[in-house]
Amino acid sequence: MPTVKHAVIAAAGLGSRLGQGKPKCLVEVEGVKILKHLLAQLGDVEDVRVIVGFEEKAVISELKQLGRDVIVVRNPNFRSTTTLHSYTLGCQHMSGDCLFMDGDLLLEPSSFQRFLASCEPDSPKLAITRTKTKDAVFSIMDGDRIIGFRRDEPTEFEWSNIAWLPVRTFDTIGNTPVYEHLKAFLPIASHEIVSYEIDTAEDMRLALSHTELFGLKALAS
Amino acid sequence: MYRAETRALAHSFEQSPGGVAGHKRPTAFAFDLDGTITRAELLPMIASELGLEPEMRLLTELTMAGMIPFEDSFRLRFAILRTAGLERIRSVVAEVEFDPDIEEFIRQNRDRCFVVTGNLDLWVQPLQERLGCRFFTSTAMTDANGHITGLDTVMRKNVAALELKEHFDRLVAIGDGFNDVPMFDVADIGVAFYGIHSAPDALVSVSNYVALDGKSLCRLLNTL
Repeated sequence: MPTVKHAVIAAAGLGSRLGQGKPKCLVEVEGVKILKHLLAQLGDVEDVRVIVGFEEKAVISELKQLGRDVIVVRNPNFRSTTTLHSYTLGCQHMSGDCLFMDGDLLLEPSSFQRFLASCEPDSPKLAITRTKTKDAVFSIMDGDRIIGFRRDEPTEFEWSNIAWLPVRTFDTIGNTPVYEHLKAFLPIASHEIVSYEIDTAEDMRLALSHTELFGLKALAS
Repeated sequence: MYRAETRALAHSFEQSPGGVAGHKRPTAFAFDLDGTITRAELLPMIASELGLEPEMRLLTELTMAGMIPFEDSFRLRFAILRTAGLERIRSVVAEVEFDPDIEEFIRQNRDRCFVVTGNLDLWVQPLQERLGCRFFTSTAMTDANGHITGLDTVMRKNVAALELKEHFDRLVAIGDGFNDVPMFDVADIGVAFYGIHSAPDALVSVSNYVALDGKSLCRLLNTL
């Protein structure tokens, strides 16, 4: 049995910085919706939960069409809450550890699978990726452990917004950015992956110049 | 006129295993029947058997559009279908397919699973026998020979949910239709089910989870 049994994908946000007027998980890259790409990377995870908010009907329809037996968790307060709130809703009633990730990521499949394979019970781990933009959560490292986060001055690695954590990490409803909440749990081990987050049009342009990395051709229909 | 002697469907909590008077049990699961546990809607199935599909469809559409209240709609549907005779209706109902995962979950959790359906007690009795859990239903009146003479009560799902809440600390409701909204309103956790068709927006808007098939639904219920 794979160690990673639970995964929570936060896909409730407005995605206003990208400005496509739809949830970012429904944005297509090379004809493949990000949601489809992410679910394909989680093929071995038994329990996948997708947190929906903005345009929830469209996301639910897409999930139904994809035919993957995920659980949809509603975050009706998506306009006034952060991803932290979605993570708390997503892992409610679960026990043990869970993989938490944003719904706006493009992943290089083999590096992400290595991250999944490296996850062990009760052993928190954050996926990091080489710093690509100025607007990211930069990791302050001590060896391969993350000892701090900062937003102002870039470091070599940024947090990829993917985390393997005990569900108790999110046992109280908070409304800060996730990395602020995680500061209380540092140091946490890290594992490097290749990933691109799509927050802005500039992020999208950057990701589009590396589409060969993401294994999208196999998913295009 | 007599009330139906179908107290098999009645719900005596005194008999429930582990149930101690004055002590609430932790969690109950209240399932809608049509389109949630069953893979087809019962009333259209019966109508189809009787060649009354268009009439039933029109009524369903008007009800879904909110033009006829559920209770009136049920009375009309009852009036249309009762002509079929009880045995014929039961034989159609008895054949309906269950979602295998939901059926298994109910079998494993019989003493805390309940079916809350607007359907008539006498019509759905074969399904109660198949599932072996307690049903909350609309109820019929019968004559001395056991023939249905009329409707006694029409199910209001919030009433059943409130009764369950008296015996359980927490109620999880699972359903796919407009008439499940009052049940979700009372429940602590609502799971809208997108099994055979999408749940109406009104129901999704009062739910905590949306389950896309029986397998993932039961995986979720097992964690609650």
